[in-house]
Amino acid sequence: MSIVDDRPAAGSDQPEEPTNRPDVTYRLREWLSRPYVRPILTMFVVFCLLVIPIGWLVVFFMNMSGAPASDIMSEIEKTILVFTIVSAPLMAITLTIIIYSLVGWGRVTGDEPPMQESPAIRSNAIGTYLWIGATSLLAAFLVIWGLVELATITASSYGSVSANQQPNAVKPIDVNVTGQQWLWSFEYPDQGKISNEVLVVPINTPIYFNVTSVDVIHSFWVVELGIKIDANPGAITNTGVTPNKLGNFNIRCAELCGMHHAYMETQIQVVTQDQFDSWVREMGGKRTV
Amino acid sequence: MTAVIHEQQAVPQPKQHGKPGGFLRHTNIVTGVLLGVILAVATYVIGGLLVPWGTEDSNFAQVGQEALIAATYAAWVIGFMIGIGAFAGPIRWWLGHDLTHADAEYMAGKDQGKWKYWKYTTDHKVVGIQYLVMAMALLGFGGLLAMLIRTELGVTWAEVFDPNFYNSIIGTHGIVMVIAMIIVVAGPLGNFIMPLMIGARDMAFPRLNALSFWLLFAAVPPLASNLLLGGIRDGWTVYQPLGTQAPVGMIGYQICIITFAFSTGIAGVNLITTIVTMRARGMTWNRVPIFVIGILAAAIMGLVWFPMYQYSQVLALSDFAFQSSFFIPQNGGSVWLYENLFWLLGHPEVYVIVIPATAALLELMVVFLRKPLFSYKIAVAGFAGVVGISSLVWVHHMYMTGWSPAAGYPFMLSTELISIPFGFLVLVMLGTIWRGKVWTRLPMMCVYAMIWNKIIGGITGVYLSDVPVDQYMHGSMFVVAHFHFMLMGAGLFGAMGAIAYWFPKMTGRMLNERIGSIGFWLSFFAFQLTFGSMFVAGLQGQPRRVLQFDNAFNVSNWLSTIGAYLIGVGMLIFLYAIITSWRSGQVAPSNPWGAKTLEWQTATPVPLENFPVLPVVTSDPYDYGVPDPYLAIEKKLSDENQDVTAGAR
Repeated sequence: MSIVDDRPAAGSDQPEEPTNRPDVTYRLREWLSRPYVRPILTMFVVFCLLVIPIGWLVVFFMNMSGAPASDIMSEIEKTILVFTIVSAPLMAITLTIIIYSLVGWGRVTGDEPPMQESPAIRSNAIGTYLWIGATSLLAAFLVIWGLVELATITASSYGSVSANQQPNAVKPIDVNVTGQQWLWSFEYPDQGKISNEVLVVPINTPIYFNVTSVDVIHSFWVVELGIKIDANPGAITNTGVTPNKLGNFNIRCAELCGMHHAYMETQIQVVTQDQFDSWVREMGGKRTV
Repeated sequence: MTAVIHEQQAVPQPKQHGKPGGFLRHTNIVTGVLLGVILAVATYVIGGLLVPWGTEDSNFAQVGQEALIAATYAAWVIGFMIGIGAFAGPIRWWLGHDLTHADAEYMAGKDQGKWKYWKYTTDHKVVGIQYLVMAMALLGFGGLLAMLIRTELGVTWAEVFDPNFYNSIIGTHGIVMVIAMIIVVAGPLGNFIMPLMIGARDMAFPRLNALSFWLLFAAVPPLASNLLLGGIRDGWTVYQPLGTQAPVGMIGYQICIITFAFSTGIAGVNLITTIVTMRARGMTWNRVPIFVIGILAAAIMGLVWFPMYQYSQVLALSDFAFQSSFFIPQNGGSVWLYENLFWLLGHPEVYVIVIPATAALLELMVVFLRKPLFSYKIAVAGFAGVVGISSLVWVHHMYMTGWSPAAGYPFMLSTELISIPFGFLVLVMLGTIWRGKVWTRLPMMCVYAMIWNKIIGGITGVYLSDVPVDQYMHGSMFVVAHFHFMLMGAGLFGAMGAIAYWFPKMTGRMLNERIGSIGFWLSFFAFQLTFGSMFVAGLQGQPRRVLQFDNAFNVSNWLSTIGAYLIGVGMLIFLYAIITSWRSGQVAPSNPWGAKTLEWQTATPVPLENFPVLPVVTSDPYDYGVPDPYLAIEKKLSDENQDVTAGAR
C-alpha cells in the first residue's frame, strides 16, 4: 500500500472465473502431480501415525502412580486416547506445512527484501471449505463424545439409577469429607459416625462423598480413582465413585489452601468387604444394614 | 447568544497563558513519585492518629490497620497522578485556559529530547516506548520470580523458602506476568504502531493515552510491595476466603488491580475510538491491516470484561479491610460469586493476550513470505468468533468447584466450539505459508515457534475443556503447562517476533539478529523442555502450587528446572540484543523489510505528527506476489478446451 496508489482496488481486478474449467478429476490429477503435493501428503500420513502413539504415552504417564482403580478413571483415560487420535490430523497437517515450508518451497536469506515474490494466493475455496468442514466435524465429535462421557461418569458418580433401588444391589456408603487447613477427615454417618483421617472403603461398593470445608476452599482429589470436587466452606458438594481395585491410593488437595497446602494429602485404602466390616467394628462403629 | 455563520471567518485561537505547557513544564516522574510518597506517608500518619491501633468496633473486631493500608495505597496512586500532572487538563478547563497549539505540541514532547519519556507526554510514540520498557521490566521481574519458583521445585529434598513466602512468589509471578503479557503487544505496538498503520497523526485521545500508561505505572509499586508486606499467599487468582487470611500485602494486589483496570479501560476506549474514527481516507474496513483488527478485538474484550475483575477486587478489598462478607461463607457470603466474577475476565483475558500477538504475526508473515494474506475475511471472522465465544466459556475454570455440575454441559459445548474460530486463524497462517518462499529472518522464525506452541497449547486445551478429563487434570501441573504454552509460548514468543519486526521503526535501529536468534532459539527449546516435562508431572498427578511433592515427580521437576534456567539465559541474551541494538545498532532505513503497510512509508525516526501529508489508501496492504503459475497453466488448458469445444460446435 503506497501512500498514493492509482491502481484499481484489489478485488475488482481479479480474473474472471474461467467459464470452461477442466473437470474435477483432471484438476485433482494435475494437483497431485505438482512436485510439492506428494511429499506433503506422505509427511502428513507419517506425522499422523507418529502423533497417535502420544495418546498411549499420556496414559502411560497417568498410570505411573497406579493404574485406574475405578470405571471413572478408565473412562477418562479412554477419552484422552480418543481425543489424541482425533487431534492427530490437525497436529500433523500443521507440522507438515511448517516443516515443509522451511525446506520445500525455497528459502531466501540476506538483509535486503527478496526480489522474488511468491504466488499471490488470496483464497482457495476448496481448501477453506475442507478446513472449516473438517475442524467443525472434529469439534462436533469432541463435543458429542464429551457430553456422552460426562453423562456416563455423572451417572457413575451420583448414581442416576440409584443403586439401592436395584434388586440385589450393594448398599452405597456415604462418607462426609471435611477439608480443613491442612488435613482431610472422613466421617461415616451410617456406620455409627466413626471418623478417621485415612479413607477406608470396601471394593465394588458405590461410595458417595458429601464434601465440605470448615475454613477455605480445598479440592478433594482421589488421584487414581479419577474424582475431584472442591470442598467449599458453607456448602456441600457431592461426588461419588465405585472403586474396583484393592490397594492404597493417593488423596491430594488440588486447590491452594494456604501455608501447608503441599502436605495436605492422605490415602484411600480400598479393602474387601470383610476387612471393611472388621475395621468398622474395630473403630467402634456399627454396621447398619 | 446567537450563532452567526460568517464566511471565511478565522477560527478564534485560545490565548496563550504563560509558556507552552504551563504547569506540565514542572511535573515529571520525580515530582509524581515524591508527591505520591508524601501523600501516602501523610495518610498513614494522620489516619493512624485518627484511628489508633487496637480500636474495636461495635462487634469487637479490631479495625484500622487494613483500612489504613488501603487508604495509604490509594493515596499513593492519587498523589502520583497529581504529581505527574494527570489532572492538569481538567484544572485548565476549570480556569478557562484552553489548550493552544503550542501547549499541545509541548505536551506531545516537542524539543524535549529524552526527558519526554519521563513526563506526562501525550505523543503516542512516546507512550508506546514507555509501555515497551514497562512491559520488559515487568517480564524481567516476573521472570526472576519464576526462577525462584523453579529453584524451590528443583530442590526436591528441602524447602528453600518459607511456605508462605513461596505462596507469595507464585501469586506475584502470576499476576505480574499476566499484566506484562496484557500490555506487551497492545501497549507498545498498539500505541506506537497502530496509529501509524491506519495513517493517523496520533491516538484519538492523546491525554487519555498518557493517563492509561501512568495509571499502570502507579499500579505496579503496590503490587511489588506485597512481597514485603506478607504477600498474596493465594496464587494470582486469589480465591476467597483464603485471601482474607493474608497479611496486609493483599491490599497492594487489590489496589493494583483496581487501578490497572482503570488503565485498561481507558486504553481500550482510546484504541477503539482511534481505530473506528481515525483511519486514513480510503481505508475501508476491508483494507484495514489485520493487526489493527486484532488490537480492536483485544480492546473490546478488555473493555467489556475487565470491570468484572475490578468489581471482584473492590468487593474483596471491602471484605478484607471493611468487614463486609461478600465472599466469606461463614458470614453468609459466597465463594462461587468471587470465582464467577474473577473468571468472567479471567478467560477473555487469555485472548486479550494471545490475539494481538497472533494478529501481529499475521501482519509480518505476509512481508517475509512476499505473499498476500490468505483469506483476510476468514481471519476477521476468526477474531470476531473468538471475541464472541470467549465471553461464554468462563465456567470451564469452575467445572470442579461444585458450583453447578449441570453447567458442565453447556460450557463444555461453548469451550469446544471456540476451537472453530481459533482454527480459522490457524488456517490463515497455514494458507499464508503455503507455497511461500520464506525469508528466514528472526521475526519469521517467531511465527514458526508460535504456530508450534499454539498447536500444543490448543490440543492440550481440548483435553482440559472436556469435563471428565478435567476431573483428573484440573488443579494439576498439566494445567500450568497448558496455559504457559498459550500465554508464554504463543503470547510471549509472538510478542518477541512482533517487537523484533517493528524494532527498526520504534527505535530507528536494526535489531542484532545474530545475538537475538541465539537467545530466541535457546529460549524456545528450553521452553519445550520446561513445560514438556511439566505436562508429564501433571499427568503423573502433581498438584499445582505445591512446594514439596512425592518422589515420583522428581525427575520431571528437575528437567523442568533446568529448562527454566536455560529460558532465563536465553531471555537475557535476547534482552542483551535489544539493549545493545537500541543503543548502538546499525541505523535502520525507513522500510527495511520492504513492507507495504503505512507505518513503513513514513520516515524513521517518525516525525512528531507522523506523516507530512495524511495518506490516502487505495488498496489493502497485501498486494504482494506474482500470479500463480499453476493457475496460468489451468487457464491455458481451459482456453484450449474452449477452443476445442468451439471447433466441435
